[in-house]
Amino acid sequence: MFEILEHTADIGLRAWGATLQEAFENAATALSAIVVELDDIDPRIAYPIAASGDDDQSLLVNWLDEALYYLDARRIVLRRFRIEHFGDGRVAGQAWGEPRDPLKHRPKVIVKGVTYHQLKIEQRPDGWQVQVFLDI
Amino acid sequence: MALQTEALDAFRHRIARDEKRGMRTDVVVYASAAMLAQISQDLALEQAVNVATLPGIVGPSLAMPDIHQGYGFPIGGVAATDWDHGVVSPGGVGFDINCGVRGAATSLTESEVRPKLRELVDQVFRDVPCGAGADGPLRVSGKQLDEVLETGARWAVENGYGMERDLEYCEAAGCLAEADPAAVSARAKERGLPQLATLGSGNHFLEIQYVEKIHDPKAARVMGIEEGQVVVLIHCGSRGLGHQVCTDYLGQMGPAMKRYGIWIPDRQLACVPIQSPEGQAYLGAMRAAANFAWANRQAMLHYVRGAFQKTFSRSVRIDLIYDVCHNIAKRERHTVEGRKVDVLVHRKGATRAFPPGHRDLPQAYRAIGQPVLIPGSMGTASWILTGAQGAMRETFGSVCHGAGRLLSRTAARKGRDARQVRNQLEEAGIIVKAESRDGILEEVPEAYKDVDEVIEVVHQAGLARKVARLRPMGVIKG
Repeated sequence: MFEILEHTADIGLRAWGATLQEAFENAATALSAIVVELDDIDPRIAYPIAASGDDDQSLLVNWLDEALYYLDARRIVLRRFRIEHFGDGRVAGQAWGEPRDPLKHRPKVIVKGVTYHQLKIEQRPDGWQVQVFLDI
Repeated sequence: MALQTEALDAFRHRIARDEKRGMRTDVVVYASAAMLAQISQDLALEQAVNVATLPGIVGPSLAMPDIHQGYGFPIGGVAATDWDHGVVSPGGVGFDINCGVRGAATSLTESEVRPKLRELVDQVFRDVPCGAGADGPLRVSGKQLDEVLETGARWAVENGYGMERDLEYCEAAGCLAEADPAAVSARAKERGLPQLATLGSGNHFLEIQYVEKIHDPKAARVMGIEEGQVVVLIHCGSRGLGHQVCTDYLGQMGPAMKRYGIWIPDRQLACVPIQSPEGQAYLGAMRAAANFAWANRQAMLHYVRGAFQKTFSRSVRIDLIYDVCHNIAKRERHTVEGRKVDVLVHRKGATRAFPPGHRDLPQAYRAIGQPVLIPGSMGTASWILTGAQGAMRETFGSVCHGAGRLLSRTAARKGRDARQVRNQLEEAGIIVKAESRDGILEEVPEAYKDVDEVIEVVHQAGLARKVARLRPMGVIKG
């Protein structure tokens, strides 16, 4: 579950999960949804994805940076993310998608980078919520 | 806690240094009273206050009239840090390293271009790839990319994408010395490799414009422009390569900051001493990314020249007026309280504006000052200014960079239809060609501040002088 946030020059995302791990997965899906139309992606190929960080905040930023690397440098669009290892400053799992086809995957915006601006990771009674802003 | 601003005069406002906030200096905002009220509505001034906490900051933390909320630094922010004892902050440059503007004067007039405008716009759109995922027409190997990173616009010229004269009319001659391609990650190179000579998306654009009004005939004559003349403006940066350099070094600086005992109020402002290994590595990589951007704009100008030749089937002269960067950190010597100091000037959404007589300017511009190119929003106007002595005295030779965003992208899209916007612009004589419909809607003129008001402030404050107001005819967007 996620939503897209906007304010002046910003675009951001807010994602939820029963666990922090699930919130991370949903945040990556939200990033994908900002870059490309999710429904256009056939999740037919699994790609490995992993990141590390000094704390939860940098772990989240670095995790999303990995997703962005696939989207912007490797030209692979991703629809689903599953984290298989989460802890000790490391997150690792798989993402499903396919190579980007400009005719099939209508581009939306180019995300330049993932920022720490107003970054939030919160535990709530019903689970976890994360908020991240992106530079576009 | 609301920030207290104090008016110094009609165009200058101060937020006094507050030690409780960790500020090492004042904030000075250049704006009219009405603009200040609008500026205060987002986090831009908070961010300017945060910049005032940077170790080794020299002079005030400065905010230009087009200031709006950014990431770490406000967009429209300027900060100089002491070269020997200060810090460098990648947030003070931003993700789009050496995003900038290149302006060129054509030998055609508005009335000559109008009848073939649609054809011209289509040709430019075909020849210069834009939008998400567009690959450049210019294929380079990994080794050639390193040459691009070291030599910038010169690489493009030496490989047939431009002429020697173009280099003289770029800030820093289109190449920052001491660029270090080895400090640019493999990932950044991979992201940038296919993107050379591509425009990108967002607010980046390529416009065919005409000179509507000359305000300074002498300076206009030196720049080779007159009323009715057609000019081309290219606004873009270092694409994915620069974005990845910023990402890589922000990631490294978080932990490094702890080692250097630096505390700052916003993690996006991460910084390290300029003279540390991390600081030097970032600056080497940043210069390399800046050079990529210059090669990018140079190659794009080459393709634009080709598109004009194809459309008009005759020789059209297109001379570069100037090329400025507005996201950069540069070592410069400035006079502060009567003393010459070496500083690193961070310009985040701010343009260098050196005054007449400055030795870094091309000979032709020594008498009039540096041309400053200010792109406006899609349907309105752009400006050419010249740097003035006031900028050298007060703002480390810097001025604004654009109109400044007012509405979020969602708000801009709301209740608007791309076809309707396109029709309205066409009625006003402007043809728009964009890769995506959202690109048109998000950049509607109403989404931006009035560029004329921004220009009025910097002109009246003595930071820069008006030379010419330009009106768009053809807009190419990502």
